Amino acid sequence: MAVIAAHEVTRRYGEGGAEVNALRGVSLEIPAGQFAAVMGPSGSGKSTLMHILAGLDRPTSGTVSIDGTDITTLNDKKLTLLRRHNIGFIFQFFNLLPTLTAEENILLPLQIASTKPDAEWVEALIKRVGLGDRRNHRPAELSGGQQQRVAIARALVSRPTVIFADEPTGNLDSNTSGEILTVLREAVDEYQQTTVMVTHDAGAAAIADRVLFLDDGLIVRDAPGQSAGDIIATMAELSAR
Amino acid sequence: MTRYAIRSLLSHKLRTVLTAIAIVLGTAMMAGTFVITDQIRNAFSDIFGTSFAGTDVYLSQRPAFGSGTGQDQVGPLPASLIAKVRQVPGVAKAEGQIQASGSLVVNGKYVKSTGGAPNLVVSTLPKPFNQNTLTAGHYPDGHGQVALISQLATDHHLHVGQHVGLTTLQGVQAVTIVGIFRFGNVASIGGATVVATTFADAQQWYDRVGKASTISVDADPGISPRELRQRLVAALPHSVQVQTGTQAAKQQTDQVSNSINSFFTPALLAFAGAAVLVGAFVIFNTFSITVAQRMREFAMLRTLGAMRRQVLRSVLGEALAVGVAASVIGLVAGVGFAKLLGVLFRAVGFGLPLAAVKVHLWPGVVVPMAVGILVTLAASYAPARRATRVPPSAALREGAELPRTWFSPLVPYVAGLLMAAGIVLVLLGVTGSGPTLVRLLTIAGGAILSFVGLAMVSRYLVRPMARVIGWPLGLRGGASGRLARENTTRNPGRTAVTAAALMIGIGLVVFFSVLINGFKESFLGSIDRSVTSNLIIQNHNQSAPVPTAAVAAASNVAGVDSATGIAFTDVKIGNGGTDVANGVDPAELPRLYSFQWQKGGSNALLAKLSGTNTLVEEQFAKSHHLSPGSTFQVTSVDGRKLTLHEIGQYKDPVLFGGFMVARGTYAELATDSNPQVLLVRYAADANAAATTRAVNANLKPYPDVNVQTNAQFKASFSKQINQLLYLLYILLAMSVVISLFGIVNTLALSVFERTREIGMLRAIGTTRLQLRETILYESVITAIIGGILGIVIGIVLAWVVSLGFRSSGIVFAIPYGQVVVSLIVAAIAGVLAAAFPARRAARLNVLQALQYE
Repeated sequence: MAVIAAHEVTRRYGEGGAEVNALRGVSLEIPAGQFAAVMGPSGSGKSTLMHILAGLDRPTSGTVSIDGTDITTLNDKKLTLLRRHNIGFIFQFFNLLPTLTAEENILLPLQIASTKPDAEWVEALIKRVGLGDRRNHRPAELSGGQQQRVAIARALVSRPTVIFADEPTGNLDSNTSGEILTVLREAVDEYQQTTVMVTHDAGAAAIADRVLFLDDGLIVRDAPGQSAGDIIATMAELSAR
Repeated sequence: MTRYAIRSLLSHKLRTVLTAIAIVLGTAMMAGTFVITDQIRNAFSDIFGTSFAGTDVYLSQRPAFGSGTGQDQVGPLPASLIAKVRQVPGVAKAEGQIQASGSLVVNGKYVKSTGGAPNLVVSTLPKPFNQNTLTAGHYPDGHGQVALISQLATDHHLHVGQHVGLTTLQGVQAVTIVGIFRFGNVASIGGATVVATTFADAQQWYDRVGKASTISVDADPGISPRELRQRLVAALPHSVQVQTGTQAAKQQTDQVSNSINSFFTPALLAFAGAAVLVGAFVIFNTFSITVAQRMREFAMLRTLGAMRRQVLRSVLGEALAVGVAASVIGLVAGVGFAKLLGVLFRAVGFGLPLAAVKVHLWPGVVVPMAVGILVTLAASYAPARRATRVPPSAALREGAELPRTWFSPLVPYVAGLLMAAGIVLVLLGVTGSGPTLVRLLTIAGGAILSFVGLAMVSRYLVRPMARVIGWPLGLRGGASGRLARENTTRNPGRTAVTAAALMIGIGLVVFFSVLINGFKESFLGSIDRSVTSNLIIQNHNQSAPVPTAAVAAASNVAGVDSATGIAFTDVKIGNGGTDVANGVDPAELPRLYSFQWQKGGSNALLAKLSGTNTLVEEQFAKSHHLSPGSTFQVTSVDGRKLTLHEIGQYKDPVLFGGFMVARGTYAELATDSNPQVLLVRYAADANAAATTRAVNANLKPYPDVNVQTNAQFKASFSKQINQLLYLLYILLAMSVVISLFGIVNTLALSVFERTREIGMLRAIGTTRLQLRETILYESVITAIIGGILGIVIGIVLAWVVSLGFRSSGIVFAIPYGQVVVSLIVAAIAGVLAAAFPARRAARLNVLQALQYE
């Protein structure tokens, strides 16, 4: 069964002459456990799509459901609870709280939800992302890659239905990007974690099970996982059209 | 989430401390007010407790009304009453006492009390009434003997056996010091001088022959004071007030401390309130800025599933922690502030006795704590609400902006409405007729509303004002000036609130300056207009009279054309309130005083003033619905009644309020017919300097009178007013200091926010000095905006209030010099506030600043 299902989603910004059609009718289904990448040049609508799939923005028309719940009609409170229990986020700029240690940042979602952390699970998670010896450091004392590991653990800690990753390597150098992508891929495999990643980095998209190519507000190709080279070729082919 | 709030505070120590100071100072002032008023009360409670410790029952003249001054000259009892009291069964002992005003003359010099405290002369009471402790000699037991309170002897190096003078209504009397005593166990009572004489001497010297000010009664063993009081009430006429010693001690404590505290407490609390209001602006601004800077953080929390409520709670949690910590520190600092107030009072001439510091839970702890915490929470509520409106998607974007609320377009209208409502409230408070407390609260509420309204409007004024104020800076400072001007207008709301905090302090300074200047000008103007004498003579101790004999002594001087005493006292009018009865000499007065006659009044009529005829002041006539020919009843403080006939009116609300009667009639309304003021006019052909010397020489037997020319009198009046003004300035300085911290905080946060931009400016060649200048100018522009707004609102409020006092003859007069000084103070505050943030900006490492995320 599809964890995420979008049907004929459109999103229009502005009105009259200044209107922009960011999404022009996108339908997709992401099955459980799948790691999907959304690729596209800037302005293609990929960020808008992610915002709408994650319930951060509402579509102009169409429906989005997560785990069978239509999220486009939920009120703020229900959306908040949905984010709390069903969605994890990984950001380009990490977005860690500078005042909390790595471990405290990881536990933050549980604290917000007033859930008692499962010590064993948290321990395993910290080991999984490779932060064992850095758990008591503040973000300012961590490298970019380490900060993103914290962010990955934070997204996983509440075992969400789906994780949305927004350009997770966008703020990292290529070596670190590689490490982070490995961590992410391994975590997805180990925990069967449904993940949607928005990126314009072909190397990042190459670790996904499936690559959705977006252009001008439409899905122009829905391809299975492939190498970075193939992805670049597809991108070139699309932009040439 | 609580941990998150606390962490956030601790990791921004400087910001937290600066924010907290805003509340610390306000709560400290509030706590200090409660501490010092309690100290004053306890001091008087100790004094009167000691005085009455050996007295079972205490008799005095029953006042016909409470004059509210606390120092009722209620008048004496007949001394014959003492014998009558002694006959009442159960009375072991009854003694009369005289209490009067007078002081020593040592080596020809008059001994003043310190800090405006009284110069007391009391007759010596025997044991058990006398609770003093002799430290040398004995109590006076013969003519011409005196004993002194210990501090007086110490201060003036006086010892037993020494011959000194004592000022009396009969001139200076030669006396011999026979004893020195401590009052109970203490060397002094406030700054008061106390001289003890015999009963007979005091009666003779202070116009009390055959009288006693009070009678102290001791009960037979086995008879309780209450029982004895009952018997005396039954035996004595109603005009005699009969109290147990405990009752008398409590009543006198209440009377004196209330008369002081009923003025001090609200006045000091008002200044504390101003400081708290300024603090609220600073807190509001700091939280607004930090919320804006932390939008990403809040958005991220929301993406993690934090409810709006949780975000609200985390911001308010920070505010609560700041509020609690600041209020606790404020309480402790309050004790220090009370000490400071004590020193200040002494410096400006209120030498009040102060007991040991005691802190009471209510209201001393609870009120400042509650105000500190609630104000912090209230001021941070709007920013906290704004934090909840940050959309979660802001975590994914840079430069997200908050959605505008339905309220934003209404702001200018609401602000205008608040200002108008504020000014109307002030006007209502000033002209209304309700109880004083309600009116004062109405005025205060109105002032707060107009301050808040102007603060809200000022965001629209920031741009044009910054352009004008920044113009000269731009000419001189090149790029720095222009950048500074643009920085202040970049976020007008922020600049406006920062400036508004300073506006309140400066606004209140200007408000009081204008109001008090109006009062001063009215008084001085009235003197110039009306007083045609050369000399204005009063007792050094202004609550004491000028001996009648001194009037004659002055008029006998060659070169003096005319000398006349003017006496005044409070009387009850009809069944209503009290007003002033003036006793004048109708034949002499027109030569020394020029009246502005109204309905029927004239100098010719004044000459006919005698018997029950009276001339009344216009306002008095208005409030009692009088016109020439009408009559009204007055009651003296010792209960004598008189019906007066109005024969005409004059206008002189400042110097001659109430009504006037001839001195003979006045004696029937006063318990002391000695005048308070003596006016002396020289003959047209007299040499002024020589005549002044001659008057001084002739008044030598009365060293307690203060001979001043009109110019000297006006100068010393101005000096007193200025001292009051300085005290106000010091109290208001707290508000200005708080707003200064507010400017520091805003600038520091702005520098932090613009780190990358500053890095860029440095990278393209801006020098550290230019950067410092930019911050300095930005600060000064903000401060001057606050100063100008403060001056405008201060003058407007003072004008509105002066409307209410116009009928009392108080004019509206702007002290331009002081206004200019307050603008300079604002600019200096701006310079001071810039020091730290400017240094911080200049010290930023260019490379790190550019990489800063």
